[in-house]
Amino acid sequence: MSDDKVDTSKVVNLPLETKTQKKAKEDRLRCVAQGQLKLYDPKANNVQRFIDLLSQRINRPIAISLLACVHCGMCADSCHYALARPADPTMTPAYKADQIRRIFKRHRDWTGRIIPWWVHARSPASDEDLNRLKNIVFGMCSQCRRCTLNCPMGVDTAALIRMTRGILTELGIVPEGVFNVSRDQWETGNQMAVTEEDYLETLEWMKEEVQEELGVPEVDIPVDKKDCDFMYTINPREIKFDPRSIAHAAKIFHFAGESWTMPKWGWDQTNFGLYSGDDRLGAYVARNLYEAAKKLRAKRIVISECGHGYRSTRWEGYNWADYDQKIPTESVVITLIRYIKEGRIKVDPALNPEPVTFHDSCNIARSGDLVEEPRWILKRVCSDFREMHPNRTENFCCAGGSGLLSMAEYRPLRLEVARIKAEQLKATGAKLVCTICHNCVDGLNDLIRHYKLEMKVVQVLDLVANALIVPGKEPSFQK
Amino acid sequence: MSELLRILENEIQIAALSFLGIVYLFRIIWLFKFVYHKERTYPAGSARTGVIYSMMNVAMPWAMESVRKKPFFYVQFVIFHIGVSAAISSTFIIPYWPGLFKVKAVVILFQLSTGAALIVGLLRLFRRLSNPALRLISSLDDYASLILMILFFAAGIIAIPNRYETDEWPLIVFFAITAFLLIYVPFSKIGHYLYYPFTRYFLGKTMGHRGILPRKKSKTTTGADSNQ
Repeated sequence: MSDDKVDTSKVVNLPLETKTQKKAKEDRLRCVAQGQLKLYDPKANNVQRFIDLLSQRINRPIAISLLACVHCGMCADSCHYALARPADPTMTPAYKADQIRRIFKRHRDWTGRIIPWWVHARSPASDEDLNRLKNIVFGMCSQCRRCTLNCPMGVDTAALIRMTRGILTELGIVPEGVFNVSRDQWETGNQMAVTEEDYLETLEWMKEEVQEELGVPEVDIPVDKKDCDFMYTINPREIKFDPRSIAHAAKIFHFAGESWTMPKWGWDQTNFGLYSGDDRLGAYVARNLYEAAKKLRAKRIVISECGHGYRSTRWEGYNWADYDQKIPTESVVITLIRYIKEGRIKVDPALNPEPVTFHDSCNIARSGDLVEEPRWILKRVCSDFREMHPNRTENFCCAGGSGLLSMAEYRPLRLEVARIKAEQLKATGAKLVCTICHNCVDGLNDLIRHYKLEMKVVQVLDLVANALIVPGKEPSFQK
Repeated sequence: MSELLRILENEIQIAALSFLGIVYLFRIIWLFKFVYHKERTYPAGSARTGVIYSMMNVAMPWAMESVRKKPFFYVQFVIFHIGVSAAISSTFIIPYWPGLFKVKAVVILFQLSTGAALIVGLLRLFRRLSNPALRLISSLDDYASLILMILFFAAGIIAIPNRYETDEWPLIVFFAITAFLLIYVPFSKIGHYLYYPFTRYFLGKTMGHRGILPRKKSKTTTGADSNQ
């Protein structure tokens, strides 16, 4: 394993890049003109705006988390940043959370307002201080929530980090990658700026692929079909880089005899609002999807394999959008379990003979509710399933969570701390690592290349599609 | 018993305790002024069970990896807080139920509890001073709170036999520290016990609603049957 150490004092002082912000302003983008996407204004009193926004955004659970930390340091043992860099005290989750806690104490807490020096209370002095805060909350924490579950007090440090990200996003003090993806999602309704034409063409292409592969012309990928059993929503990455997952889903849904559709608008189940901390963006994207399901009179929403997409669509989105959940919203993993249990599809584990391990996505295991479910499937579609340790809610982050994959400036540090995950993967001896998160797919692939592990990343749909017993077809057909 | 000790044990302690109660009341009112958003999703688990599990977390050292990795730290936590309970109880037993400390075994039990907590307090202070990560996050309040507790335990050990006829000074010191503690606590990190039920409640409620806590065990049933 690599011993390269990143100088985190340099990471903390990485400057704020605003080239794409300037371009967005020059291009007079709709989301900028309408005030949805905020730009950095060096002439504004950003410190005061930060303090005002902080006061507005603290809710009761956040206030309690800001007050309750006793600085016991137990969180250090749960954080992959702190574990990978034991000699660097700034990696301790409590230290990172203290960067926002000290501002809260200085302006809202009794003791901190009267004797700030006694409780480490301090206000940011300049935009440089806010930029340093940006580099800590965006670059040194993947909001994996491992420290939250390991805090004896129950302090939700990940929630504090997200709130801070949201305030900085409101001031335009964000990494360029976060700005760019937020811009795309505001402008196009999906985070990879996939055009409607590209989207529909890709679906058509995948439909033809499956029809040709199976020799069954009835296989369909319906779009905007009303009154279906479910509306299937995907990650734009599936359109751009990995459309096979859509083909796999279409194939399985066909054999299960499913009545399903994809929406023409509101199909992106991912949500960069989760990462940027921008609840307005979160609400906008989630509402698009919920409204699409309503318009199509779908009986449920099914979310393809995506960690933050599942968390955003199933859990956070309804709350961000102030939208009461009206129909069941489930992961495709649950849909697959239903098919297997009801005998709607048949699978043969012998078709996946290679050793497989499972990586729990943080957003699903620690902020969602699926830990046993993917395992239930894997044990039925793979002949050699191996747990990695620790697992389930104690699993380590792929190190690419919370949008870090879009922030190139933090990549060296991300890969350094990914050593913890790499060691976990290596110890399994598995050839395939399965995950139900597209973000984790990229995060794991990156670390697998970096640490030269001989592993391939797959998803549950890949393995189920491969293990599928196609009526009247030879197993060799299934590739 | 001197007038000074009598006042310290009674009027001053009651006044300090009342002050603590009033400040806590204001603190809770202040906390409840922060908005709390309504949950709009279908549950995947039980918020109530999550809250109970989360609250009981303190008594389940196996529940958190951080504690499993450091069982000695958990033992220290238990010893320290038993000592806190013993020392605080002593501040009520001495003035209001002095007969209890006439029983030698009870005195020894209380002295042992506070003595063990004193040792843990010193270990914790050493840890805070020697661990760079802890040093970095520690404020003066963190050190002062710990030192204050160490002094409280030390004074408690000497004061618990309650020999006011022969040796009054340990009692005066103990009750003076107690009064100061009661006034200082709501402004310091020692007041964390006020927040503990709230943090655990909110975390347990969210995690329980989402079916994350209590942690699932390997089982044959899956969420496929539930109303997702």
